[in-house]
Amino acid sequence: MIRRIRHITLWAVLLVGLLTILYSVESLYSTHHDNQLIQQLTTGQDVVVNQVITGKPELRLARAFYFKQKHRYEEALSTLSLIMDKGDKAFQAKARYNLGNLYLEQALQQVKTMNMNAALPLLGLAKQAYRQSLALDSSNWDSKYNLEVAMRLLPEMDSIIMPDDDGPINQKSQLWTTVPGFPRGLP
Amino acid sequence: MRILLILILLLPGCSGSINTPVSYFNVETPRPFGYVIGDEIPQRIIIETRSGISLQASSLPAKGQINRWLNLNQVTIKQSGQRYQIDLRYQVFYAPPTVKALTLPGFTVQFNQGENKPEEKMLSQSIPAWSFTLSPLRELVVRQTEQGEYLRPDSPPQLLENTQAWYGLSASLTVTVLTAAYLSFLYGFFPKLLRRTLFKQALRKLAGLSKTDMEQVLSIVHYALNTLNGQPLFYNQLSDFYQRNPQYRQISAKLEWFFNYSNRYFFSAGMITVTPDLQQIKDLCEQCRKIERGSL
Repeated sequence: MIRRIRHITLWAVLLVGLLTILYSVESLYSTHHDNQLIQQLTTGQDVVVNQVITGKPELRLARAFYFKQKHRYEEALSTLSLIMDKGDKAFQAKARYNLGNLYLEQALQQVKTMNMNAALPLLGLAKQAYRQSLALDSSNWDSKYNLEVAMRLLPEMDSIIMPDDDGPINQKSQLWTTVPGFPRGLP
Repeated sequence: MRILLILILLLPGCSGSINTPVSYFNVETPRPFGYVIGDEIPQRIIIETRSGISLQASSLPAKGQINRWLNLNQVTIKQSGQRYQIDLRYQVFYAPPTVKALTLPGFTVQFNQGENKPEEKMLSQSIPAWSFTLSPLRELVVRQTEQGEYLRPDSPPQLLENTQAWYGLSASLTVTVLTAAYLSFLYGFFPKLLRRTLFKQALRKLAGLSKTDMEQVLSIVHYALNTLNGQPLFYNQLSDFYQRNPQYRQISAKLEWFFNYSNRYFFSAGMITVTPDLQQIKDLCEQCRKIERGSL
């Protein structure tokens, strides 16, 4: 009876082992294929849409990256919006950082053409995306830097008065401007 | 009258109210300088309350946005007896043009004293505000590139990890190969390997037998020799056996004794078995084991 149980157990272990081998090989092949697609997209070559739709969120991030490089902002935005809640914290932080960059780049283009009405909401969205990214990963220096760019363009309206600062009498003249733009230095 | 006066004086000391609910209080903060936008600032508050007094968790600041430039990302309370360790993690979102002093706002922690009645005065401890300086990341006059304002580039997507799949494949391959090999051994696919354990198995079976089980002892050794020979082995076939297995020639005397003894045991009447005979058979088996193992 024990010999019979031992034989059945051994055959079961062999079957499970074979199935795991098949699953691992399939998983390795799929990862290799996805990595090839990601490399293709990051080097500026488009791929078949179906492969991205059925693939992992990293593929969508790569496709959004591709669209952004080609200045196809609307498509990049719709691709990124699909993966905002996917993946782990690091992935979400990265997706939000790229989303912030997408908004900020568009806002800068609007500022360049002096279209302030279009630039202001884009700047607000960029700041929100960077803040969310930093809340998920506070060690991302690129996100910090670009958030500061966005905040310089569109400063927060709350003034912070410290005891060492000048009193509120002089504050009126020190308020930030709400018109986006950078100080350009001396003429 | 004097006793009554002393009792009246002692009465306030016996009342349940305690003016200082905290026996130990400390706020641990990191360096107060060198922060930039997006940095997280941890603050640890250690409070040890007097017995019967407990911290009111709802009096701590709530997780979320404190003001336009400050977020509270994490609030953790660890309690061990009357000691409370409160860990707060703030995050700053302010872009100063030059180094600027900012302040984490103070707040008041409240305590419960037994079962607080609404009319009783709430015990509390104020946590002081904490000042630090925040530095800008970029210069005031903006750096320009060919595309316009200098921005940090997009984060490129990382390639997918396949370490787990490799681990899975290695582990499953190992288990499968070992199981398949063992099953093959059990099903007799390795006859040479099986031959190398013939006398090992025989010795294991002999270990528990005594001189009264002589018939079984002889059968076990015959079975091992027959299996090694590939067919039943008799005394008159020993020379052929030595030709096929020359390494056994060195114990020919013992083998011949064994076959004679076996003949006498099975075909002569009234043979008495003694312990030295059993020991001699075990010794023969031991020698055969050494030969099959390659150590003799």
